[in-house]
This record gives sequence, structure tokens and C-alpha cells, in this order.
Amino acid sequence: MTTTVSAAGLSLRYGSTRALDAVSLRLSEGVTGLLGPNGAGKTTLLKVLATAQPADSGTFTVLDHDPSTTGGRQEVRRVLGYLPQTPGFHPDFTAFEFVDYVAILKELTDREGRHREVRRVLAEVDLSDVRGKRIKKLSGGMRQRVALAAALVGDPGFLVLDEPTVGLDPEQRMRFRELIARAGEGRTVLLSTHQTEDVAMLCNQVVVMAGGIVRFEGTPAELTARAAGRVWSSAERDPGAMAGWRTGLGVFRNVGDPPAGAELVEPTLEDGYLITLDGMVAEVTA
Amino acid sequence: MSAVLEKAPPAERTEGERRSWAAVFALARFEARELLLRAPVLFMFVLYAAWIGWSMRDAWTTYPALQDVDRLTQNGPLLPALAVLLCANQAVLRSRRQDTDRHFDVLVLEPWRRTVAFALSVLPAVALTALFVAAQFTWGVLAPGSVGHGSVGELLVGPLTVLLAGSAGVLLARVVRSAFAAPMLLVLAFFSILFLGAVPGNSDGSATRWLVPVIGDASTKTLPSDLLGRPAAWHALYLAGLALTLALAAVLVNGGRTKTVAAALVVAVGLGTWGAVGQAGKVPAATVAARLVATVNPAKVQPCARHGHSTYCAFPEWMPRTGTWAKVTDNVQSLAGGTAAQEKLLVRQRVDARYGMDGDGAIEPSTVPYQVTVGTRWGGPRVPEFAAAVSSVLVTGSEKATSSLCDGRMVTIMWLALAWQSDPLAELRTVRLDDSVTGSAIVLSPTNPMSMTSEQTTVVRELFTAGKSAIAPKVKAHWAELTAPKVTTAKVAQLLGVKAPTGADKCE
Repeated sequence: MTTTVSAAGLSLRYGSTRALDAVSLRLSEGVTGLLGPNGAGKTTLLKVLATAQPADSGTFTVLDHDPSTTGGRQEVRRVLGYLPQTPGFHPDFTAFEFVDYVAILKELTDREGRHREVRRVLAEVDLSDVRGKRIKKLSGGMRQRVALAAALVGDPGFLVLDEPTVGLDPEQRMRFRELIARAGEGRTVLLSTHQTEDVAMLCNQVVVMAGGIVRFEGTPAELTARAAGRVWSSAERDPGAMAGWRTGLGVFRNVGDPPAGAELVEPTLEDGYLITLDGMVAEVTA
Repeated sequence: MSAVLEKAPPAERTEGERRSWAAVFALARFEARELLLRAPVLFMFVLYAAWIGWSMRDAWTTYPALQDVDRLTQNGPLLPALAVLLCANQAVLRSRRQDTDRHFDVLVLEPWRRTVAFALSVLPAVALTALFVAAQFTWGVLAPGSVGHGSVGELLVGPLTVLLAGSAGVLLARVVRSAFAAPMLLVLAFFSILFLGAVPGNSDGSATRWLVPVIGDASTKTLPSDLLGRPAAWHALYLAGLALTLALAAVLVNGGRTKTVAAALVVAVGLGTWGAVGQAGKVPAATVAARLVATVNPAKVQPCARHGHSTYCAFPEWMPRTGTWAKVTDNVQSLAGGTAAQEKLLVRQRVDARYGMDGDGAIEPSTVPYQVTVGTRWGGPRVPEFAAAVSSVLVTGSEKATSSLCDGRMVTIMWLALAWQSDPLAELRTVRLDDSVTGSAIVLSPTNPMSMTSEQTTVVRELFTAGKSAIAPKVKAHWAELTAPKVTTAKVAQLLGVKAPTGADKCE
């Protein structure tokens, strides 16, 4: 597949903390999931790719635009849709006004065409019925969809979504997944998430980060395959397992290096993720 | 890799630039709509409209001078200016307060261009203010008997004040990112204005008084427009320069460090400084000289017109009003007897313009026989005041002689002045300083006031009750006795057939 976004050697420090450590990656059309524990550097990477924050070193291009110059940065922003973690809103604006405002800031200047585009993206996120409502009157899920509409307006070629499903109930999350899947058709979407189910259901590519370093880059199937032969079930928690938890069936599911004769089970994406982190997540226990 | 855009063909860059500016105007339109729909702005514009209605309520009957009406338009816009300052400031701070900065910072339109849009967004409020100013001034122009000329410079002060307030609000938000800064600025501005107004300066007021947007006058008198000596055009230039300077400074501090912005800022500072220097100058020598001539020897600059027996000389702007004065003169003279009924009066308009609008210089009574002074204002109490001046000259022969009047002739003067009116008693109330129709009182006139004793007031009131048709023949018949110096009030009452007071005339 054609590479649409590529980064090479992106590094960034916050004081003594290395938030990004020579991050290199290549994204192509479709949804790429960005997985990683808290503090892995996911949000920092998204900020850098969204031109919200410059890297200390390294380069990247977005749809052939290089943001290292002022003009290049502007061109990247022209093809960018960004949904930050916990986005802010202007509560007294209506959903339409807010997205229209963002559309203006994206330099959609023809009023009629812009309004048509705003109506289109609001319809795309199923908010046509409430587009005249003030944002302060909308539910959390609706607000999140307003933010997604704002990211989608102008039909950006590169969409950066920072944990968009956080705080949503299961039904809202399912709806959001549909929206993101649709958004991934014909454009590059980088989706940061803690939810491996999101990645399993939506993404054709996945990047795993930890400690500012890219630990894995490939397909979800390849990530899952990493755990092949390293997941087993047992009646008791296996003390030698990297992680283990009691399943709904009452047996323990263990991830790590199985003992001889262990009852191996089919790995999931989450297992592959845990294996990739290799013990970096301590909390994943029963 | 990094040179891709730097090598972009000029056509593409121009297109991008054009798109950016189109976005600036689109954002300005959006923000302008938001601004105009903000409750404080709407409220202040409604209040402003009400203020115009209130301040112009008497315009239809007070024969306004347009060189006063233009300055009248300057205080009202302070109301929307206040709201525009606060709301423009809040609009700029909105993104920060509502945490949309993180998102908006990665959108295409650069922050400094957004600042340009915020600065432009106050223009519709400025235009609306200009519309209100134009409406208020037009009201004055259309009022019956309006005279004089308005100044474009004075009319621009209101809209420019709103522009200045908007620019200050935008700059403040870019410099101090707190919503409390704008209210604090208003308090600071209030005390600065008090301070600047108090600094002593040249004869035209304090040296720094022209640094504030709206400059009031020390007096309420009306002068010919060419004698005002107010640097209105300079002041408008100063305000425009200052407003532009603040707006461009906001753009500059927000990252708009382009050559165009820097050049525009230099031009704006230059304009503001030029205006400030221009307005701080002394009143031109030609104006000072013209003021002196207008005060001391107005005949040199006044054309005259003849109406009936009398001649009316006025400053050119007031010539259309001479006919109105003639009607009053004719009415008063028609009630007089003896030669006074045919006396050729010279009605001359006089002002004390020596100090411009500083101080209310009283006009000395004329010593020229049968010359009557008329002021620059008309309508309301000015009509009976002028009538009293005409009748006093008909009775005593000159304004100067009336100054020391302390006898029964005051009754004849007041009857002549007011009897021709449809409601003389109401006019009597108007022309007396204490607005009463009983007891002693000061009677106003275009020059020195006259005084009426309690007894004279009683007699005049009775004469009005008796009616004009009953008294007029008696006045004509006894004219010589009624106008003889030292005639007593009792004698006058007796001659005119009303109850005579007891005791001699005592002037206070």
C-alpha cells in the first residue's frame, strides 16, 4: 500500500523524560491503531504529527507535505483533521456553529459550500437532528461526535484521533467505531486508544508504543500472532505467567512463556499486545 | 523533503494567501455576528437608541445649531463602546477559556490572522454606531429652524470611539489572558480620564484633555461654527491612528510579524502621533482674531436683512432665522404706543467668543440706542427672553438703560413682551429664573437680567387676566406716562385699570 504518512527518528524530551525516542513509522490509507500504556508517548506522537508540537529532532511528511517549514506546516494542516483527547467546546455555540467555526479556521471560505460541508459531516456523525442545539445541551457522546465532525470537516486526508472513545458507554462506543470505520475509507486515520477491541474491530494496521519507542508496527493479525503458543489456560493462576486473569468461565488465562504441557488457547490481539509490552503493564491482572 | 513548499510556484502561494484572507473575512463575519448578538452589546445599543431619543426630545422645538448637534452625538457611543470592549475581549479569550486552543492551534488559519479577524469583527458595531450618529444628526438637520454646520470630524468621534474600544479589547486579550483585565482597564481608563482632564494646560483647557476619546466643553453656549476652534479633524485622525495602532499591535504580538503588518503599524503610529500633535496645538491665530471681531465688532462680519421697520444683523449661519426674530419684534412692537410702535430697531446677534467654548461669558448690554441683542440660541425660553429685550428697548430706549431699571416701567416691559403670546402666564413662568408667577424674581434676557418685584408680578399677572384686547388700548393711550422714568408700579396699575399695589417700588 502507498505510504501516506511517514516519520523518521522523531524524538522529543520533556525535561529528563524521553517522550519520543527515535520514532519511525509509516502509515497508509485506512485506520491505524496506536496502542500503548499510559505515558507511552501516544499523545505526544499525535501532537507532533498534528503539528501541535514540534519534535526535537526527526522528520515526517503527511501526504507528501513536510511541516518543517512554515508553508509546509500550513499545507499539512490543510489536509489534517485532529480530534484531541478531551476536546474543548464553545458551549454557547450550536453544533452547526461550532463545526462551521472550525471549517472557517480550516479556510473553507465559500459560505454556501462550507455550510453544505458542515451539514454533510454532521449528517455523517448522525447529528443532523440536533445541529441547531447549543453544545451545552448535548450529551457527552453527542459532544464527542461534534468533535469528530469538526475533525472531519473539509474532508481531510489524514485524521488524527486521540482516544475518541474514552468515556463513552458501550452503545456510543459501537456507534463511534462505525463512524471511524467510515472515516477510514479513502483516508489515513491514526487512532490512539487503550482499547484493543477498537483496534481489533477497526484497524488494518497497528502500532504499539511504550516508553516513547515503537515496539511493534504491523497488522492486527501479526500482533495477534506474536502471542501464538504463549497463551494458555489453567485452573489456578500460573505464577510464571507475565499476566494472568480469571475468565468468566472460571479458569485462568495466562500470557507468557507456558510451562511444558500447558493447555494452549487461541491468542487474541490483547494477548499479542501484552506480549509486545513484555511485562511493561503490571496492572493487567485479575 | 523540507523544500517542497518553499519551491512552490508563486501562483499557488498567491492562491493560499487569497484563501487565508478570505478565511479572515469569513471569521470576521462570524465573530461580528456573535458580537452583535451578545446581550451586553444589544442592551447597550438599545440604551444608546433610548439616549438619542431622550437627548433629542426637544430638537423639534429648540431650533438646534448643527455645530452643537454634532458634538451631542459623541457621548452616546460610549455605551456600545463599553460593551464592545468587554465582548471583543471575551471573544478573543473564548478559545483559551473553553479549552479549544489545543484543537484550533493546529487549524490552518494562523493565530495572527485570527486576531486580524477579531479586530475586523468590531467594524459592524462601528458601522451601526455611525448609523445611529447619522440618525441623530439628521434628526437635528431636519428639525425646524436648524442652522449652522456640522463637522465630519466631530461626527466621526462616536464610531471611532467604538473602534478604539474594540481594538483595545482585542489587544488586551492578546497581552493579558485574563477575563478580569478588560473590566480593570475600564476602571483604569475612567481614572485616567479624570486625571488627564485635570492636568492644567493652555487656555483651551488642559494640555492632555484631547488624549481621551470624547471631549466635553466647559460651556453650553453656541458659537458660529468657524469660531469653535475645536481640532475635530485632528482628533478624529488621532483616534483612528490610535485604534489602528492597538489593533495592529495585537496582530504583531500574536505572531503577525510580517513586513506589511510592521509597515502598517508604523503608519498607524504616525497617524496617531500626527493627530495627537495636531490637536494639541493652540487655537489658530486667525480663529482667535475672528473670535475677537465677532465679540467686539460683530458688525464687521454680519450681513443684515430688513424685515418691516427694523434691521436684523446676524452671523451668516443665522441669517435664515432673522424672519423668525422679526415676527417676535413685530408682535411686541404692535402693542407699543407712541413712536415706539414705529421705531426702527436694529436687532444684532452677539456672542462672547473670546474664549471659545471655555467659560460662559455674559454679554454686556448694548449702549447703542434702539439696538436689541439676540443670542445664538432660540426656542423655548429664548423667545420670551428676546421679546423682553425688545420691549425693554422700546420702553427705555436702550439695553443699558434697562439694566438699572427700578420702577413701574418693568410692568409695561413684561406686558409688551408676553401679552401677544397665546399663554402669557406660562411664558412669564418660563422667562423668570425661578419658574414662578408670584413674588419677586430675576427675568432673563439675552444680556443682563432684569428684576421684577412682587408687586410688579402681581400687576402683570392681573393684566394678563384682563386680556390683551382690554389692556392694549390703554397702553397705547397712556404710553408716555407708562414709559416715563420713575413712574411707580401703582401708577402704572392705575393707568391700566387694575388693582394698584400699595407702597413705593423697592428693588432688590
